Amino acid sequence: MIEFVHVYKSYDKNYILRDLTFNIYKGEFVFITGPSGAGKTTTLKLLTAIEKPTHGVVNVFSIGISDIKPKDIPFLRRKIGFVFQDFKLLPNRTIFQNISLSLEISGISSTVIANNVTNILKAVELYTKKDDYPLSLSGGEQQRVAIARALVLNPPVLMADEPTGNLDDNTAGIVIDILKSFNNKGTTVIVATHDKSLIDLGRARVIDITKN
Amino acid sequence: MIKALLTLEGHVSLISQKINYLNNYFKIAFLNIRSNLAGNFFAFLIMSFSFFVMLIFTLCYINVYNYMLSFEKNNTMLIFLKDSANYHNNNIIVNDLLKNIKKLHGVKSIKYYSYNSSLRFLIKHTPKISPVLKTIDPRDLPPVIKIHFNPEYISRIYLSNVYFRVKSLNGVQFVYYSRLLADKIGEFIFFTKVIGLLIFLFLFISSIFISYSAIKLIILKKQDEIEILKLVGATNSYIRIPMFIEGVIGAVLSFITSIILLFLLFKIFIYYHFNGFLSYFKIEVVFLNAFEIFVIFLIAVLSGFLGTYFSSRKFF
Repeated sequence: MIEFVHVYKSYDKNYILRDLTFNIYKGEFVFITGPSGAGKTTTLKLLTAIEKPTHGVVNVFSIGISDIKPKDIPFLRRKIGFVFQDFKLLPNRTIFQNISLSLEISGISSTVIANNVTNILKAVELYTKKDDYPLSLSGGEQQRVAIARALVLNPPVLMADEPTGNLDDNTAGIVIDILKSFNNKGTTVIVATHDKSLIDLGRARVIDITKN
Repeated sequence: MIKALLTLEGHVSLISQKINYLNNYFKIAFLNIRSNLAGNFFAFLIMSFSFFVMLIFTLCYINVYNYMLSFEKNNTMLIFLKDSANYHNNNIIVNDLLKNIKKLHGVKSIKYYSYNSSLRFLIKHTPKISPVLKTIDPRDLPPVIKIHFNPEYISRIYLSNVYFRVKSLNGVQFVYYSRLLADKIGEFIFFTKVIGLLIFLFLFISSIFISYSAIKLIILKKQDEIEILKLVGATNSYIRIPMFIEGVIGAVLSFITSIILLFLLFKIFIYYHFNGFLSYFKIEVVFLNAFEIFVIFLIAVLSGFLGTYFSSRKFF
C-alpha cells in the first residue's frame, strides 16, 4: 500500500532523509519514530505529496509521488486522512462545519454529510459540542475534532503527526484508543511520534527512520 | 436496457454532485463574507468609491456628448434681417426673401418672426427672465426667418451652399445655422470621444486595481485556510470559486450602492438646483440609460472577477 525505496530528501543540500526504505501494508498500525528533526513530519509530507523526494521512490496506492500531476494531488489526499500536530482547524467554522469540510470537497450531498458527521461526532464523543467553535475547546477536544475530520470520509489510510504532542497522558490514551478502534475497522494508521510512552501504549510496529 | 439505466444513473449522480458543489461554493462564499465582515466592508467601501467615480464620469460624459450631438441633429437655419426690413416694414424685402428661400431644394418650411413675435418667443421660452424682457423695446430685437430642412437633404456641402446663397440675398444681416457650429466642434467631438475613451479605460483599469487591492486584503487573511483546504484534498477550483463568488458579490453590491448614490445625487443636485440653470442653455440633463448602466454593471462584475483572479493567483 505504501512503499519507500531508497528515499532521500534534502533542503538546500542539507539531507533530512537518507536512504529510507520501508513498506506499510493494508490494515497496519505503524509508528514512525525518531528524535526531533529526524524527518518524521517530512516522511508524512512525502506520503501526501506536500513534498517530493529528492531521490528514490515513494509509492502510495501504487501512485508515484515523484511523478504525480498537480491536478491529481487533491484526489490522493482525499484517500489519506491527516491529523496535524497543531490540529489545523478553521477557527471561523463550527466543529460540525470543520468536520464536514472533507465531505463537502468531495461533492457529497448535505443529507449524507449530516448523517456521517453526526456518526463520527458521536464516535469521538463530541456530538454535544457540534455547534461550538474550535477555540472554545480544550487541546484534547480539538485533537479529537481533527481526527474526526480526517476519518469522516472513511479514508483507507490515517496519518497523525505527533497527535498527542500537546496533550496530557490521559487525553493521549483516549486519542490512541480512538485511533486503535478505527484501525480495528480496517483503516491503516500511521503515527509519527518521538514519544516512547505513546509507542508503548500503542503496541504496534515501529519504523525508526534513524536506524533505516 | 440495464446498461442504459446505469448510464442514466451515472449522469444523475454526476449532476447531483455538481449541484452539491455549486451549493457549497455559495455557502462558503457567504460564510467567508460573514466571518470577515470588517474586511469585506472595507473592500466594499473602496470598490463603491471606485465605481462611483466611474459612474459620475460616465454621466458627465454622456451628457456632454449628447449636448454636442444635438448640434449635429439640428436641421434649422436662422436668418437675421437688417434693420431696414423692420423699421420701414419693408414687406417687399421680406416677401422677396421668403420667395427666394422657398425656391431652394430641400427647404421644408419657413417661418417669419417680426420683432414683436421675436420678443413673444423669448418671453415664452425664458419665463424666468420675462419681467426683464418686458422692459425691452421690441424694436431692439431683429426680425428673423427660420428655415427647416428636409432631413434627407442635410449634408455639410448642401448646408454650406444654402448658407452662402442666403447670406448674399438682399436684406440679410446674419445667417446662423447650428451645423456651422457643429462643423467647428466636430474635431472637438472626436477628441471628446478619444479622451473619454482613454479616461474610461483608465478608470476601468483603476477599478480592477482597486478591486485587486481590496480583495487581496481579504485573501491574505485566508492564507491559513487555503493551506488547510489544500491539505484535506480541496482542488484549486474548489478553493478559488467561492473567492470569485465573494469578489463578484462585493463588486455587485458596491455597484448597486454607487448607482443608488449617484441617482440620489442626480435627483437632489441636478433636478432641484441646476436643472433650471442648465435648461437656460438648452442643455437637457439626462440620467444614464439602462444600457449604459448595464455596461458599467458588467465592468463592475469583471473588475470583481479580475481583482479576485490577480489577488488569488499567488496561492495557486
